[in-house]
Amino acid sequence: MIIESSKQVSRNHLFKRFPIPTNFGVTKDSRVNRGKAWPAPAGVTRTKSFEIYRYDPDSGRGPQVDTFEVDLDDCGPMVLDALIWIKNKVDSTLTFRRSCREGVCGSCAMNMDGTNWLACTRFISEMESPAKIYPLANMKIIKDLVPDQTHVFAQYAAIEPWLQSKTPTPERERRQSVEERGQIDGYYECILCFCCTSGCPSHWWNGNRFLGPAVLLQAWRWLTDSRDEAVEERLDKLEDPFRLYRCHTILNCTRTCPKGLNPGKAIAHIKKAMIERQR
Amino acid sequence: MASRSPSKSQKPLSPNIQLYRPQLTSVLSILNRLTGVLLSIAAIALVSWLLAAAAGQQAYAIVQGVFASWTGQVTLFGCTFAFFLHFFGGIRHLVWDTVHGFELRTIYMSGWAVVAASIVMTAVSWIVSVYMGR
Repeated sequence: MIIESSKQVSRNHLFKRFPIPTNFGVTKDSRVNRGKAWPAPAGVTRTKSFEIYRYDPDSGRGPQVDTFEVDLDDCGPMVLDALIWIKNKVDSTLTFRRSCREGVCGSCAMNMDGTNWLACTRFISEMESPAKIYPLANMKIIKDLVPDQTHVFAQYAAIEPWLQSKTPTPERERRQSVEERGQIDGYYECILCFCCTSGCPSHWWNGNRFLGPAVLLQAWRWLTDSRDEAVEERLDKLEDPFRLYRCHTILNCTRTCPKGLNPGKAIAHIKKAMIERQR
Repeated sequence: MASRSPSKSQKPLSPNIQLYRPQLTSVLSILNRLTGVLLSIAAIALVSWLLAAAAGQQAYAIVQGVFASWTGQVTLFGCTFAFFLHFFGGIRHLVWDTVHGFELRTIYMSGWAVVAASIVMTAVSWIVSVYMGR
């Protein structure tokens, strides 16, 4: 099947998961067990099952998967609506991040049916039955669907994501031509939801030292900005076997970006810039 | 902020490979890695074949016998496919290194093209070699 855009949900697949056991290679604390099954409310006709990853740090138990029956006649069309419905009507302890409900803030990024996306822009009708809702892959979990993003934001800070210039501050704004401004199109729109970084196998195995697609896309956003004058210093910091070169062009990042951006391409630009400056 | 109970300090890691859906992107990437490993091992077999040919008729007959056996032929067939998958995958990576072919549609088209070309070339190689071997 040819995927034209990252918003396309794949219908046919040989495997829904890689052929390994569910808790393969997982430490004891992270092992996922079967949890509680909540019954459907009485008198409802159209329901859909949601299997949701739960973890309560105060319970003393490890993560588990609870099953909820959502009344589709009483619920909005998006996955986020279903989560809010569950929180309001079934279990108020269900914990997740959300804010804008229109794909602008990136708060509700999570793993749905095995791929990362925003819960607010994924239709319930696009989900399998039962729908599988997990937190973003490969993240330390604070509670339920809320991942600890301390590490990825520290990686973001490491690339110094702000304008750096050596020339004296001009009297007026720093001007760009239309072409120069166009250089950052497709990169500045990133909302830092970390769907891509969380979906990157290279970041799973080397996340401590590999910066990951989201942060590298941001790195290119500053490298290609005509107003930024720290290109050499930025490239020096990235020239490292791990920080940049653990990217093996797997391209799960480009496949999953809920904003339709292209982290894989941004990283290819950085690698090319590394070669070109050696000449 | 100090954690109040020991359980709070140990945050679980959410599933990654156990959960994430296999996609053409990741599957071809891991296959490229696996075929690379397989071909490195196959290179040893190739060298042993050449060494046997240099060592003399008797040694060559033994190695040739192993290669001509049923399991040997199946392994060689697998190695042929692995070679072409790795070869065409490598070309795809070379194109990516020039920052071309990164549109999602192109990524999928080139990915399936690698799979199709590998199947076709494996079949062609075996048809030709079996025909010539007669």
